[in-house]
Amino acid sequence: MTSFSSLNTAVLGLNAAQRGMDVTGQNVVNANTPGYSRQRVSLSASGTSTSATFFTGSSAFFGGVTVDAVTRIRDAFLEGSRVAANARMSALTTQTSALASAEQLVAEPGETGLQQVLDDFFNAWQDLGNDPTDSGAGAAVIERGQAVADQLRFLADGVDARWTTGHDDLVNVVAQVNQAATDLAEVNEAVRRGAASGRPVNELLDQRDQLVDTLAKLIGATASAGDDGQVSVSVNGITLVSGTQAQQFTLSGATASGTATTDPPTITWGTITISVDSGEAAGLLAALRTDLPDMADQLDGVAVAMRDAVNAVHTAGFTLGGAAGGDFFSGSGASDLTVLVTDPDELAVADASGVVNGTNAQAIGDLSDDSRALAVLGSSGPSQLWRELTTDVGVRLQSLQRASTVQQAVVQTAQLAQQADSGVNLDEEMTSMLLWQRAYQASARVITTVDEMLDTLINRTGTVGR
Amino acid sequence: MNLSRTTYRSMSDATMFGLQGALARTQRLQQELSSGRRVASPSDDPAAAGSSMKLRSQRQADEQYLRNIENASGRLNVTDNALQQLNSRLGRVRELAIQSRDGAIGGESLVSIAAEISSIKTDVIDLYNTRWLNRPVFGGTVQGQDAIDSSETYIGDDRPIYARISRDGTVQIDTKGTDIHADTVPALLDQLASDIVSNPTAVQADIDALDSSMSAILQTLSTVGARAARVETAKANVDAERLDFTARISENEDVDLPETIMNLQAQQVAYQAALGAASKVLTTSLVDFLR
Repeated sequence: MTSFSSLNTAVLGLNAAQRGMDVTGQNVVNANTPGYSRQRVSLSASGTSTSATFFTGSSAFFGGVTVDAVTRIRDAFLEGSRVAANARMSALTTQTSALASAEQLVAEPGETGLQQVLDDFFNAWQDLGNDPTDSGAGAAVIERGQAVADQLRFLADGVDARWTTGHDDLVNVVAQVNQAATDLAEVNEAVRRGAASGRPVNELLDQRDQLVDTLAKLIGATASAGDDGQVSVSVNGITLVSGTQAQQFTLSGATASGTATTDPPTITWGTITISVDSGEAAGLLAALRTDLPDMADQLDGVAVAMRDAVNAVHTAGFTLGGAAGGDFFSGSGASDLTVLVTDPDELAVADASGVVNGTNAQAIGDLSDDSRALAVLGSSGPSQLWRELTTDVGVRLQSLQRASTVQQAVVQTAQLAQQADSGVNLDEEMTSMLLWQRAYQASARVITTVDEMLDTLINRTGTVGR
Repeated sequence: MNLSRTTYRSMSDATMFGLQGALARTQRLQQELSSGRRVASPSDDPAAAGSSMKLRSQRQADEQYLRNIENASGRLNVTDNALQQLNSRLGRVRELAIQSRDGAIGGESLVSIAAEISSIKTDVIDLYNTRWLNRPVFGGTVQGQDAIDSSETYIGDDRPIYARISRDGTVQIDTKGTDIHADTVPALLDQLASDIVSNPTAVQADIDALDSSMSAILQTLSTVGARAARVETAKANVDAERLDFTARISENEDVDLPETIMNLQAQQVAYQAALGAASKVLTTSLVDFLR
């Protein structure tokens, strides 16, 4: 132990304080960086003596202070639950927004929805029944029938367009998942190299966590820690990223809403189907596989009920010319329902051949009443089916919105818990800044003091009698 | 929540979450107030939306029933008028017939009486051919616009016509030509006119036949009156029901103004309090107190 080594010790102290200040500075400037985890310097004293040296003099070696590591404060459990909560939230948000835009189509309750159009149609028949020989009333019936067909086609097209948009989004999501998986594998590689060569990898780790977060949000992937600070990511048991290896997922199944029920869109890895239950992909899949096809089916149901009910009564009647009534509507669903009758003379307004009355027209008008439609069809009439569709969409959307509200709180809690653990507290950083400053000052003072001691030794000793 | 550590980020996140929530609730109330509707889309309240749609549909139907009722009562009124005129025309015929049996009347007068009866017959046929919306009201569902054709033969088919005047009620709005002797009266009048001039002994029998026709018309008149009364009652009922539906739709869909305004006030106070708290807490840190 020499006096000079004390200087060295003090320099190590200065360095440690400097490093501490660096880290504090890094924390402070990143206080608002998303995904940033606060860092801490861990120090240890080095080279303290191993035996008591009361009588042997100062043989102990004071090696000063070592900066062991700069560690990132991040709790894997908190991180995991936050990521999972976020993923679930994305699923709900995506599904909600898909369904909400479909709900806008419905435009009920109000004066612009299909209900009004149906009522207008049936009322036009009643008017014709009141005045069976009025060709104006007959033309109005045909016009209103056309309006029903138009409105149903508009709705079917709208659902179809929303399906296509959802599918495009899903294609994007899968592409993003594959990109993020590739990126993550690269970061894993960088982390592995960094760890092997002892370089600090904290910022890389944050980047890695961001990618894991992205994957969770997109497809509900979960991460598990591997060797050398690498993570593996899987979706419901199917590995997406394992160390430095990234797999690619594909989207298969229907690409148009027509075949969505028979060949639903599926995310696969090779031939293996991945059951996605979280993340944007899950929300989109739910909308594409269930919500929108169900709505399209129900719309077709309304159109078919409309066609069958009106045709059943129309064909039972006779035109004023005495001919038996033909079909009024044709088509197989909401998208292709058409009015076959083009001339008011072809309308079967009378209930018998060769008579002039509006009895059959009235009977068609009466179909606006659910019980009469039920009697004709043996199943629910168009108005009732339409109301069921509206209520179904409403209930689905409402429960999704409620689930979103609840999930929002869950996300919030998870985020706060993680922030509490990893977030930067400025008060704390200010305090440690003081601490490092003081430590720096103290180490500097050690140097001054040693300097003064050496001054005493070198310049002031041996000058007796001078 | 019990946190061991609080950071500015978490505080500002929590504050934002709270403010966002308060703002979203305020916006929702504001939307309700400005649109006046509590249920603007099905998801706002699916049950209310469903029943609202049903109520709207039924109100539409009621409006149609009111139109049907207008039509029915118009037709019944026209029928009623025609029957009353018919009755008075036939009454005049009866007077003339009785007058003809007065022995003091000379041959010339009898000829003029017969001529008047013949001209009344034209009126009577016109009355039997009374139309409503281009349809003969006494002709049933006959083709064409007349119940009695140019050869003065009744061609109506007596098929009943009903109008739907409420969800479950219909009323018969036609009057059978045979009920009011449309098939016999024109011939009877011809017979009477000729009997007055050439066969006075048969006039009494003709008058009896005329009496039975007139009583048939009066009877029909009372039936038509009863139907008109039913239609009036139905109109009052449907009208009341329609108003009731309107009230229920409004109850279902519309905002409760006092309640919503109160809620909005409360929400605004909460929002301002949250803003105030945020501005006090988030602006200071240790940085402000270190030199």
